[in-house]
Amino acid sequence: MTDAIVVEGLVREFKGGILAVDGIDLHVRAGEVYGFLGPNGAGKSTTVRMLTTLLRPTGGRATVAGFDVVHDAASVRRAIGVALQDAAIDPFMTGRELLRLQAVLHAIPRQEGHARAEELLERVGLTDAADRRVGTYSGGMRRRLDLALALVHEPVVLFLDEPTTGLDPTSRVALWEEVRRLNRESGTTVFLTTQYLEEADQLAGRVGIIDGGKIVAEGTPTELKTSVGDPTLMITPADPSRVGDTAEVLAQFGPAADGKPGAVAVRLAAGAEGIVQVVRALDEADIATAAIDLHQPTLDDVFVIKTGHRLEGDASAAPGSGRRRGRGSKVGR
Amino acid sequence: MNPAIRQTVALARRSINSTFRFPQAWFPSLFFPLVLMAIFTASFGRSVSFIPGFPHVDGFLSFAVTGAIVQGVLISAVGAGAFFAGDIEGGFFDRLASSPASRSAILVSRLCASVVLAAGQATFFLLIAVIFGATVQGGVVGALIVIVLAALLAIPIGGLGVLLALRTGSAEAVQGMFPLFFALMFFSSTFFPRETMTGWFKIVADINPISHLVEGMRVQVIHGVDWQAAGTSLAIILVLGVLTVGGSAINLRRRLEGDS
Repeated sequence: MTDAIVVEGLVREFKGGILAVDGIDLHVRAGEVYGFLGPNGAGKSTTVRMLTTLLRPTGGRATVAGFDVVHDAASVRRAIGVALQDAAIDPFMTGRELLRLQAVLHAIPRQEGHARAEELLERVGLTDAADRRVGTYSGGMRRRLDLALALVHEPVVLFLDEPTTGLDPTSRVALWEEVRRLNRESGTTVFLTTQYLEEADQLAGRVGIIDGGKIVAEGTPTELKTSVGDPTLMITPADPSRVGDTAEVLAQFGPAADGKPGAVAVRLAAGAEGIVQVVRALDEADIATAAIDLHQPTLDDVFVIKTGHRLEGDASAAPGSGRRRGRGSKVGR
Repeated sequence: MNPAIRQTVALARRSINSTFRFPQAWFPSLFFPLVLMAIFTASFGRSVSFIPGFPHVDGFLSFAVTGAIVQGVLISAVGAGAFFAGDIEGGFFDRLASSPASRSAILVSRLCASVVLAAGQATFFLLIAVIFGATVQGGVVGALIVIVLAALLAIPIGGLGVLLALRTGSAEAVQGMFPLFFALMFFSSTFFPRETMTGWFKIVADINPISHLVEGMRVQVIHGVDWQAAGTSLAIILVLGVLTVGGSAINLRRRLEGDS
């Protein structure tokens, strides 16, 4: 099996003719972490619900772990682990009870199920809280338990629907680490939906951007970023009167880009490596620099260019958005 | 053990445990019938023997206890429906649906839990009544008939709760149906014998299946073991059960296929 998930022309139309998913194609390779990125209402969850057999497609077809999601739904359910949005867990049960119940749902023999529950509690760091009711857990603990529940039967393909929405930055990073480890150690294929650019960038080997029920871009984070253009270099001359001279020097390295007042920006045609020549040329022209900023395109830039709008919710909720500007690495002063 | 049976048992246990851990889920089903039983008994006491047409009883409590049991089962069945709807709202239902667990276990486990809870309730109400001086004329067999019928009654009523849950997917909507159940009970012989009713009220109570159901249980307490009356109650339970559980099964399938 080389493709863990194959989706061809998948459509879901709801009553009233609303096309939540409008003919998407996807190939997720076995052992890959695939990031499905899009704003609220883009069709991410509808797609996940179809792939996890919770919702029937109204068009197209999809296979997960080699099984058709409609005609062989039972086989799909045996092969997948699912952690849906909002960690669907009964608040009156304890973590241990839920894990044991989940093992029963997967028809795992009693002894083995109990052992597996303990192992997973340990793994997600919930051994001490195992006998507490889930209602008393923090958001991060619930998500970790939810992840553990999805892993009870050692699934071939793991679906995580917005696993870190609403989590604080520390819990988010901890969950990322767990997903990475899982993928690395067990080779589990992970299909992850997110509305956070940083999450997709950090975790996913490949990213699909969905907007309005259609996939608008797909590739590795690097491919996607490269596709939208060269890095931008912004030079702030120490002497503000020399902005004009600076622009003249920079013009030979690529087309001008928008910069801050008192600074000159250029799209580096030679890529980030071109920065050395720029610094040398400025030195030869005897222009002292106050600041040199290199801005690599981010997935955010990709998103804006492919969809024409910014990712809703990202700016306000994600810790990643604050760091977005910072990722354009500063080189020297 | 067969995985489907094991899943049904595990899910039923989970429903019972979670019900007990949420006092709002079980407290009303014990408290309100007790209060009503206490008020009616205090008001009427032994004076019922002077009410024309009232069947011969040795005290109102003996008469009221089966009404309280049916009322309790009704309240907890609404609770079961709300609980099921809560599972749909909270996503627990999706957890079951996306697992390879037996589809029928999802429905059957909920009904099994209601049956166990109803048997417990009926036993509790009978014990309270006996402690406060009621006599069960049918003796142990009569009491067992009442308990078994109450337990079985949880199937059609629980089925209706689940049916509403599957159709609406909202715990609030299910709870909103409660007054309807209550009205159905009041326009029946649950609290007073049909012999004392007149006019349109009597007509409604006469055709209300709840009347015949309760009477089939009550006679075991106030007269003695009556297999024919028990059979009538059982038949009503069966007919209602086929309707509501069948409806639930159809709606469960519809929801599992994601068409609702």
